[in-house]
Amino acid sequence: MDHTFHLPNSGHNFDAKSSKLGMWLFLYTELLLFGGLFLVYMVYRELNSEAFLLASFKLNVWMGTFNTVLLITSSMTIAMSITALQKGNKKLSVNLMWLTIIAALGFLVVKYFEWGAKFEHGLVPGMEHYDTLPMGERLYFYLYFFMTGLHGLHVIIGAIFILFVIRGVNKGTVTPERYSLSENAGLYWHLVDLVWIYLFPLFYLIH
Amino acid sequence: MSDNNNVHISSYKEHFSTWAALILLTFMTVAVSVFGAELRTLSVATAMIIATVKATAVGYYFMHIKYDPKIYKWMMGTVLALFTFFMIMLTIDYLTR
Repeated sequence: MDHTFHLPNSGHNFDAKSSKLGMWLFLYTELLLFGGLFLVYMVYRELNSEAFLLASFKLNVWMGTFNTVLLITSSMTIAMSITALQKGNKKLSVNLMWLTIIAALGFLVVKYFEWGAKFEHGLVPGMEHYDTLPMGERLYFYLYFFMTGLHGLHVIIGAIFILFVIRGVNKGTVTPERYSLSENAGLYWHLVDLVWIYLFPLFYLIH
Repeated sequence: MSDNNNVHISSYKEHFSTWAALILLTFMTVAVSVFGAELRTLSVATAMIIATVKATAVGYYFMHIKYDPKIYKWMMGTVLALFTFFMIMLTIDYLTR
């Protein structure tokens, strides 16, 4: 470490440690954002356990399971893409990132069909049939759409983030020596997986 | 940490093992939930414990916390403690109404 004073250079200052720390700080706020929603769920479930139980049978467990497998697998591919980049295998890294994006799109397609079925059955807040449901079931579907919706938004943002990393690798701004952007995109994507790990059993599985 | 040559690189094998463990736990939870639905075997507590094991594996291996500086563990611990505090306060509030 030399102590000579450096004038700000052409704007290409690079500090991987700070960038990672910043990413993590952001992820902590994300955890608390979803955490707050989980607390809302916890209270309403406690107050309406029978209604939540009945409503949970209206979800498709197999679609949920398929999406869980997709997210876990994409979490692995993005983690492997960072390993590949660190080892200098750019091509493999980019391919693994494309696989992750394909999994993200697959997740959204399944969600589209799942939500579509709910629209058909009138289970969406604001629809006529929804208004006739008992209070507990209305709360369940309200939370279902809000929480999986917010999670879905994160899936979209995560996929776009990974696209930027692919662009960076192709342009040469993300390299085996400067992989911090790919690492941060990976962290964000794992958060998406992390939230789903709790959403899936809470909405689909606990009968 | 690009300025550091002895940075830890997770192996493909480790990522694959983490994936296999996560998939196994997922199918276990689904199986108990679907085939034991009549018995209501999957309690909230069991499901949350399994989910937490999965989340820990994701954080530890995929998110690299295991090999990162300790500060990330401490910060994560702080956030979890904060969340637990909220949860306890909320529970006390509801139980004493």
